[in-house]
Amino acid sequence: MKRRDFLKTSLAASAVALSSSASAGVTTQPLDSQEVSKVAFPEKRPLITYSNRPPLLETPRDGFTKSITPNDEFFVRWHTPKIPTHIDIDGYSISINGLVETPLFVSLKNLKTDYEQVTITAVMQCGGNSRSAFKPITSGIQWGNGAMGCAEFKGVRLNDILKKAGLKKGAAWISLNGGDTAAFYRTPSFARELELHEIKDDVIIAYEMNGEDFPFLNGYPVRLIIPGAYADSWVKMIENITVTNDYKELFFMDTAYRIPDNECECETDQNPVQKTKPITTMNVKSIIGYPTSKTLIHMNSNVTLKGVAFDSGSGIKEVLISLDSGESWERATLAKELSPFAFRAFSFKFRPKNSGNLTLMAKAVNKQGQEQPFAKEIQWNHGGYKYNGIDSVTIEVV
Amino acid sequence: MKKIILSIIFTFSALNAAYTEKVKLPNIKFSIVVDEDFKAMQRNCQWCHSFGYITNQGKQSREFWHKVVVKMRDVYKAPISKRDEKITTDYLFKNYGNSSLN
Repeated sequence: MKRRDFLKTSLAASAVALSSSASAGVTTQPLDSQEVSKVAFPEKRPLITYSNRPPLLETPRDGFTKSITPNDEFFVRWHTPKIPTHIDIDGYSISINGLVETPLFVSLKNLKTDYEQVTITAVMQCGGNSRSAFKPITSGIQWGNGAMGCAEFKGVRLNDILKKAGLKKGAAWISLNGGDTAAFYRTPSFARELELHEIKDDVIIAYEMNGEDFPFLNGYPVRLIIPGAYADSWVKMIENITVTNDYKELFFMDTAYRIPDNECECETDQNPVQKTKPITTMNVKSIIGYPTSKTLIHMNSNVTLKGVAFDSGSGIKEVLISLDSGESWERATLAKELSPFAFRAFSFKFRPKNSGNLTLMAKAVNKQGQEQPFAKEIQWNHGGYKYNGIDSVTIEVV
Repeated sequence: MKKIILSIIFTFSALNAAYTEKVKLPNIKFSIVVDEDFKAMQRNCQWCHSFGYITNQGKQSREFWHKVVVKMRDVYKAPISKRDEKITTDYLFKNYGNSSLN
């Protein structure tokens, strides 16, 4: 055998071995019923805790029965180990610089008094929420369903601040960075870029979350809010905004938080897609908050299932519930819509007739007619992003 | 009246208390296997993240762990030596491996 032929054969052999492991990859329900930690973080109740450096906290399933997630129950995700643990708020300001007529230093007081105040209720969801559903496992934190929450944010339109600074000719992008830093000088810092024409008037720099100061771990004192977009662009503890004429290469823009740029947004681990795009807008999703797999239900008792549904801002048209593994579906009752970007709470009354295991499923449909697929229909991507499978909870009826 | 003023002052100071001094993040010990190679994990991984990050990945193939170690070095710039690249990969596969090489 010639060396070249040998190489070919061994490559083919390894390809077979690899593809057999890949074909085993069927998306499942994400991890569920993880224990909350005994330790509470500052301003937080005990949550599911994956790490303390950097802090990674997940809201347990039973947090998703209501359209507003309380601040102490809200998930936490930082990227770098050194997050500021103290801020001198009197000396704090956001620097607006670069291609502007008047560079500004905007203090918290400026934000509250010099600009029109805006309030918006919106879902904040990590792009990797529910990542543990993907098989084979993708690198990144293996979140269950709780790397998300919904809050009312109060602040100032980013466009109003940019207008006050005055954009110079050629201004096309802004880059923002927050207060957290990496352990090594050469580690990419967490920064984001936005194209100016994409900044709509609902993009705000918020200083209040649910009527209070931001919890420290959620980005106190100010955080960028981009309704409908995944939270990787919602920069925490904003310190600097630079207006530029061009896009700069940034790790967290060019490498992380990207999905295949094809129609199915999918690939396999053996055939990664080279052309990628940012994850940007959220897809339609719903979660059952009650009952959970830990709930015991008595036969013939009246049960009110509760949950939340959302998409990227078209709004929720209906939520359907199945008690027979997806054979038949019935409409849930929708609560008031707080905003098209908010959690839409839903409820569904039923009475279990038989004892044993009972599987409950929820499927949301948005106003564009898009609906959640079954978990097993969701195709794989290398970052484990954008999972939105039909939610499924199995309870015990006694 | 005095009481009211006092309670107002108290509310204000309570609101700001969290930020007038350093926020203390809890120190959580994530359980991780300690063996003769554990020191390599301590000297290479802990700069940037807790061990919770590692155990959260579950049991994985040798190739998976090797890719993670290389990513930490090449992408996040952790100064992992060639020797420690091997020791940490061995450690991870030995203690958090799924018995598959790739």
